Amino acid sequence: MPASTSFRLLETEADGALERARSLSPDETIAVVERSGLRGRGGAGFPLAQKLRATRTAATLAGAAYVVANAYDADPDSPLSRTLLERKPDLVIDGLAIAAHVVGAEQCYLYLHPEATRARSCAEAALSRRIESLQEAGTRVAIALGPGGFMGGEESALLAVLENKRAMARQRPPWPAEQGIALRPTLVSSAETLAALPPIVRDGPEAFRVAGTAGSRGTKLVSVTGAVASPAVYEVAFGSTLGEVIQAAGGVTTALKGIHVGGPTGGILNATRTGVRLDYEELKAAGTHLGSGQVRAIPEGVCIVNEAARLFSYLARETCAICVPCRVGTKRVGGILESITSGLGRESDLPWLAELADHLNEFSLCGFGITSASIIRTTMSEFPDDYRTHIVEGRCPTGTCTPVRARRYETMAQP
Amino acid sequence: MSLLERYTQPAESQIPTVSHHGEIPSGQPTCTIEIDGQEVTAVVGEAILRAAQRAGFDVPTLCDDEKLAPAAACRMCLVEVEGFDRPLPACHLPVQPGMKVKATSDGLFKMRKQNLEYILSDHNAYCMPPCQIGCPTHIDIPGYLELMAKGQHVEAARLVKEVLPFPYALGLVCPRPCQEVCRRGLIEEEIAICQCHGYTGELVMEMEKAPTPFPQESATGKRVAVVGAGPAGMTCAYYSALKGHAVTVFDMMEKQGGMLRYGIPEYRLPKVKLDKELNSVWQLGAEFKGGMKLGRDFTIDDLFAQGYDAVFLGIGAWASNELRIPGEDLPGKIEAISYLRANASGEPVPVGKGSKVVVVGGGFTTFDCARSSRRLGADVTVVYRRSRKEMGAHYSEVDDAEHEGIRIEFFSAPVRIVEKNGRVGGVELQRMQLGEPDASGRRRPIPIPGSEYVIECDTVIPAIGQVPVLDWYDHAPGLRKSRRETIVTNAALMTDRPGVFSGGDCQMGTVTVIQAVAQGKLAAKAIDRYLNGADMARVAAEITEEESVPELIDIVPYKPEEPQVRMPFLPFEERMQSFELIESGYSKAAAEKEAARCLQCVCPDVGRCHLQRLSVEHGLTENRFHRAEPLDYHDYEYDLSHDFILRDLNKCINCTQCVRICRDVIGANCYGLMGVGYDSIVTTPWNVSLSYTDCVSCGACAETCPTGALMMRERELQTYELDITRCIYCGDCVEVCPHAALGETPNFELSTYQRFGATVLAKEELAVAGTWRPSETIPLNGQRSPVRPPEVRPPAPPRWGA
Repeated sequence: MPASTSFRLLETEADGALERARSLSPDETIAVVERSGLRGRGGAGFPLAQKLRATRTAATLAGAAYVVANAYDADPDSPLSRTLLERKPDLVIDGLAIAAHVVGAEQCYLYLHPEATRARSCAEAALSRRIESLQEAGTRVAIALGPGGFMGGEESALLAVLENKRAMARQRPPWPAEQGIALRPTLVSSAETLAALPPIVRDGPEAFRVAGTAGSRGTKLVSVTGAVASPAVYEVAFGSTLGEVIQAAGGVTTALKGIHVGGPTGGILNATRTGVRLDYEELKAAGTHLGSGQVRAIPEGVCIVNEAARLFSYLARETCAICVPCRVGTKRVGGILESITSGLGRESDLPWLAELADHLNEFSLCGFGITSASIIRTTMSEFPDDYRTHIVEGRCPTGTCTPVRARRYETMAQP
Repeated sequence: MSLLERYTQPAESQIPTVSHHGEIPSGQPTCTIEIDGQEVTAVVGEAILRAAQRAGFDVPTLCDDEKLAPAAACRMCLVEVEGFDRPLPACHLPVQPGMKVKATSDGLFKMRKQNLEYILSDHNAYCMPPCQIGCPTHIDIPGYLELMAKGQHVEAARLVKEVLPFPYALGLVCPRPCQEVCRRGLIEEEIAICQCHGYTGELVMEMEKAPTPFPQESATGKRVAVVGAGPAGMTCAYYSALKGHAVTVFDMMEKQGGMLRYGIPEYRLPKVKLDKELNSVWQLGAEFKGGMKLGRDFTIDDLFAQGYDAVFLGIGAWASNELRIPGEDLPGKIEAISYLRANASGEPVPVGKGSKVVVVGGGFTTFDCARSSRRLGADVTVVYRRSRKEMGAHYSEVDDAEHEGIRIEFFSAPVRIVEKNGRVGGVELQRMQLGEPDASGRRRPIPIPGSEYVIECDTVIPAIGQVPVLDWYDHAPGLRKSRRETIVTNAALMTDRPGVFSGGDCQMGTVTVIQAVAQGKLAAKAIDRYLNGADMARVAAEITEEESVPELIDIVPYKPEEPQVRMPFLPFEERMQSFELIESGYSKAAAEKEAARCLQCVCPDVGRCHLQRLSVEHGLTENRFHRAEPLDYHDYEYDLSHDFILRDLNKCINCTQCVRICRDVIGANCYGLMGVGYDSIVTTPWNVSLSYTDCVSCGACAETCPTGALMMRERELQTYELDITRCIYCGDCVEVCPHAALGETPNFELSTYQRFGATVLAKEELAVAGTWRPSETIPLNGQRSPVRPPEVRPPAPPRWGA
């Protein structure tokens, strides 16, 4: 079981937090958040206190600011924000209000996936319950719906959506904290991060700090999926090992081949790596990232090359198409992986994939392309045999791949 | 302030646009940043890219336009900035004082090249036509074929003469590297490219004065001496004369043409016609001095002493290689080049009816000797030590020789010339087999011991290659020769001695005529630059870059099959005793029909396309993402429905410049991204024709498009109608016309264009017109008053003045 259980977000109430926050000065609140060690739950793990401070500084200059709670849940298999909103919508609303108070914003947005109807009605109910305290605090909270699709949840694409544009990523810097919606300072934070604000502000940072590791404090909602007994959203403390996270979902139903951490752009770790702890730095060292907070147990009998190809074909459908490495790169990498699963692989494909992974990672515009390189890198380093069996022996290691293409990429040179 | 914000400011508070090639306007707050270790002055808040461009750094970009907010879409301008852990787009990052930027590095170059490879992997379009790349002179082949198909043969000839001054001669003797790579050949038969320009050459040859590609420039006062009146020298003379230099051509022979006259037999190139074509050089004022041999009659120093400012050495390769076998000094062994020369000059030759001739070799000279001997009535055998595939001569030449009754012994090398009665009586040959490939890529022949045999003959002609005669070399200080007895030059064809250039056979060793012509053309260009005082190292670098043009994609569109129009040939039996020309030439109809077969597989944007330029600069000569499933690539329909703008989505690279310029500068907002994921493409709403959008036909999108995805359509407006009864003389039409095609008259906007029965501004004039004023006077029908239709506005007294 997780290392510490003293703090449970899903068992916390929001009552009194907003009042407490309003009694503190913004700088005091930021200091409290800083002591709690709260980092962004959206995947990148940026310290919230720094973001609050940057937004507040920019807002003082600009005279206006926005706060956006990203409850979009881009990864369809990881409905963390929906779960949170359905169970504790008040936490998110009050978190939004506290953040708005800190940065000096009047307009807040709760940004939802268009299909999250239940979460939306829960949020609307909570909003009407809190209408008075929000009015008192001078905060307006509007519910905004994204366009659907994976890219709608990306931090900067979300800003474009709120500006009534196509969900396209935007080059950073400037960060949203400086120039977000309509180039105004905007605090964009995941709903889960903001939901941690009420208990931290009301009860002080210590209770929150107890859970987790030195670098990653508190607890995290994770969506445990795949070959586990009860796939669902669970709250675990940071520092829990992947084995413990899978245990939380009732354990595995069959022998595992790998553990996919971080959603569609996350890397796949070997099943033996159950000792890797859920921690921003440790996951990064393992080659993947927290991403959408999905931990997927991949059972034996799954071909990892096929798994990677499947992920890239999903990404090629979902890319916003603004930058070349992501728009064309995901398609081409997927094509190479597909030709390997179709028995057309060559020895030279492996260094080629590594080269393309570097390019995706270095030259992409947003986290979508940057992190997708981890799929290539982890599958190649953790499951070299799957690639080798396909390429050298010309067969699928698990006998599950069926050819999906008859022609592979060929080099065409100048005559 | 970020760059995004700059573009949303009201006009009065914006930083004035700082042109990236101009100077920084005075009064701008500037700061110093460091790019690649060099200090650069930049305007605070402008993009790094702009500062870098102004300072002369070549940061590649495909989606940047200084009028537009940055998009950071093409990922070409990414640079490493100190303090950031990953490369960032220079178009998007504003300059901060003290910034340290690394704009060029091996890592960035590799990543940018990968970007280009990605872009080109889904760039479903033609770029350069392979024929144009294959031809050493790079003739605009689709261009002249299109003109020919329209019946504009003189224009076609002028287009060819831009790079190839002698289309008739080359039409007959060129080995046709262009046709081997013709894309039409991938589906059926290639275009008869050479024979088509041969036709135009023959046509313009009959004109009193041959058309020139460009008007001859006025005399520069500089003098150029060309040594050697062969293809390289004459080409160099032609283009030097066009540039306005005074050219003198020296040649050791009495008549012009070099190897074209003295090496190539009459049946391949009639000398009367050759002279007519070469006359185009003399028509430009060049002077010919025959019978003047370098080293015997003059030296290079003499030329400079006589006041020549530059010298071109195109002396060819006139000495035949020796066989180096016993018996070579016997009477009956003839030197190939002397033999051909004697034959061409009408001198007696030691071959006639009943002679038994063995020609050794597999090149063009071999077959010229063999086929000439056959025409003189001899019984001819060609011996070659490798197989048919390795032969240097064009396959058609080999086939024709066999059809004319010449025997070819493959895999045979002479080991000894057999003596009989004190002269040649036969050749002893040894069978060969092929071993490993040698340096030239051809497989090395290895003798088979004990396989010797003898062919009886009375004449042996070794034709195994020629070398230049450099007997004057010792008296030419400053020149260098290679081990292969050729003159050494740099890429600008200049020798180690400034002002002395060299090209053709004497510089490359024996090559084809078209390669010699290509060098003559390059040499003329280099000489012109030299005479204008250019830095020759830079000229050499430029020429190297221009000559390396990669082909970027190769997809053949469907066009109904149609066989090549056959050139009428002289029947084989008639060739036995006659030196008559074999190819009798196309008729006008045949030439036009053949030219119309061209697929026109060329992008009209070639030369202006930034994607092409960057790909060339990044050395992208291959693409690893070709020939997979159709789903890996896009194949869009063209939108040709708009009157002024052509859209070809296949060439779109999603840079979104057109989106931004149409939305933010023009305000029409016609474009946007459509579709999701990899299938996203910039197009109109619902992908309708541009005519159904709010397009104002301003052409800004076509102007800013970095590729050929959006292009201005060639205007075919012939005439227009003005409903005079409804015109309210508002003058709007005059004001908005981007080409100033409508003009204000005393009757206000009543235009002059084609309303009075005469072409007032031609299309080309219209494009460059500074004012609306017609170049031809408008017929006034005897009236003195300015133009005015009588039914509107009776003459009124002048309102002011007078």
